[in-house]
Amino acid sequence: MTQDKADIVLDARGLEPPEPMVLTMEALDRLGQSEKLLVLLPREPYPLYRALELNGFSWQTEFQSDGTVEVLIRHQTR
Amino acid sequence: MQALLSFDQAPPFAAPLRFFITAPLFAILGALLLLWTGPDLFASRWTGSALALTHLITVGFMLQVMLGAMLQILPVVAGANISRPLLIATLVHLAIAIGALLLAAGFLSYQPLAFRLAALAIGSGVALFIVAAGHALWSVSSTNPTIRGLKLALIGLSVTVCLGMLLAISLDGSLQLPLMQLTSIHLGWGFFGWSVVLVAAVAFVVVPMFQMTPAYPEWFGRYFSWSVLTLLSLWSIADTAGWQWPATVLVGAAVLTVAIFAALTLRLQSRSKRARFDATQHYWRLAMLCTLTACALWLAARSVPALAERPEWPLLCGVLALFGGFMSVMIGMLYKVVPFLVWSHLQNLARGRMMAPNMNKVIAGQQVDRQMYAHFAALVLLLAATIWPILFTYPAGLALLLANAWLLRNLLGALSFYRHHRLKIAALAPAVAMER
Repeated sequence: MTQDKADIVLDARGLEPPEPMVLTMEALDRLGQSEKLLVLLPREPYPLYRALELNGFSWQTEFQSDGTVEVLIRHQTR
Repeated sequence: MQALLSFDQAPPFAAPLRFFITAPLFAILGALLLLWTGPDLFASRWTGSALALTHLITVGFMLQVMLGAMLQILPVVAGANISRPLLIATLVHLAIAIGALLLAAGFLSYQPLAFRLAALAIGSGVALFIVAAGHALWSVSSTNPTIRGLKLALIGLSVTVCLGMLLAISLDGSLQLPLMQLTSIHLGWGFFGWSVVLVAAVAFVVVPMFQMTPAYPEWFGRYFSWSVLTLLSLWSIADTAGWQWPATVLVGAAVLTVAIFAALTLRLQSRSKRARFDATQHYWRLAMLCTLTACALWLAARSVPALAERPEWPLLCGVLALFGGFMSVMIGMLYKVVPFLVWSHLQNLARGRMMAPNMNKVIAGQQVDRQMYAHFAALVLLLAATIWPILFTYPAGLALLLANAWLLRNLLGALSFYRHHRLKIAALAPAVAMER
């Protein structure tokens, strides 16, 4: 997944919880219907997946060789 | 302001919290036992009161915190959801609490009935937990060292509790078992197979996450839990078969492996991006230093005959491991986990109508620091009491009482903070269902 596929990139790798979750949710609040948000995290965010599912987003996760987990999020197509 | 629902599958707050709040009560009971028994408690590790104190800490404090934490972290770090978490938590918590009290009563009275009932209560509570957690973890593949460690720790817990139950029902001599040998295998599995493996599994996530350190090396995460469990299994076989020399080498290798974990954690901590250590980091550092010292002392006692003959060293090792190592790491984690849970449950309840208060306000930093100093003082006094029991037993008992009463106060403070803000949220729009 390349970062230029996303409209907004949120690098939450160096942040202490709950900051990554707070920032991601804030970014999703503002995410336009056709926009994509890419979140960079140090580990797989299981609670985030559930939040995305509940709030009508779809996502793709990729694992990079340096341990970074990339989650590309968009609104679910109806 | 975010209006999104952040989660709905995490266990209700009441599920893990009951374990966390009960834990300091057992440490307070331990402190009262110390004050009641006096210096005689430290006569040997085999006195009834020393064994009662040990189990008030291991079953009453540690097991409570560990099961409560596991209930909470399984969905978060492994995506494994325990079904009906509140029911499971209620039953397991009750069984373990009653079992810990009965076990301590058993050691103080040597009544076979107390031991049997304790075995029944702890055995059924732990069995229920293992079935529930095992079921949740069954379909989750071990994609990272934490998930692998959590699964292996459950095996360690099963072996520890099975051996403990066997010991409890055979203490009257009816089963003709080699009790001393079984006790050391029970202790080995309890300390290493269950507690260290679980602490390490959690450390792989929480040390980098909350202490802003680099990750543990990949090779370490991959092999650590397996190595500990393999060495323990081989040692148990060698020890039971009476192969003295291989048994010593195997248990020595297990102790060294644990020492590597402690040293590595200290090294990672020294590379933390945070300018000033918070209480959790201080607690972790103390725990790792005590673990290293306990490992070094154990290895020294095994290699220097003059030291091995002294009766104090097993007690010293025990105090270092239990109060210095495990209790410290767990209290340190409680100061992250409890505020985090308060914050996330409030955030979830508010659903964007208001922001949950800052996590750092849940328990005042000053109260956390004072409690930490009381714990440090209790540890130093307990260590001194193993060598000079007449002088230090009572001050140690008082300090342990103070440190845990303070911990209880801090945790109850977090609970009342949660309740206060939950009412504020409920007042905003009473139509929204209240969380349990």
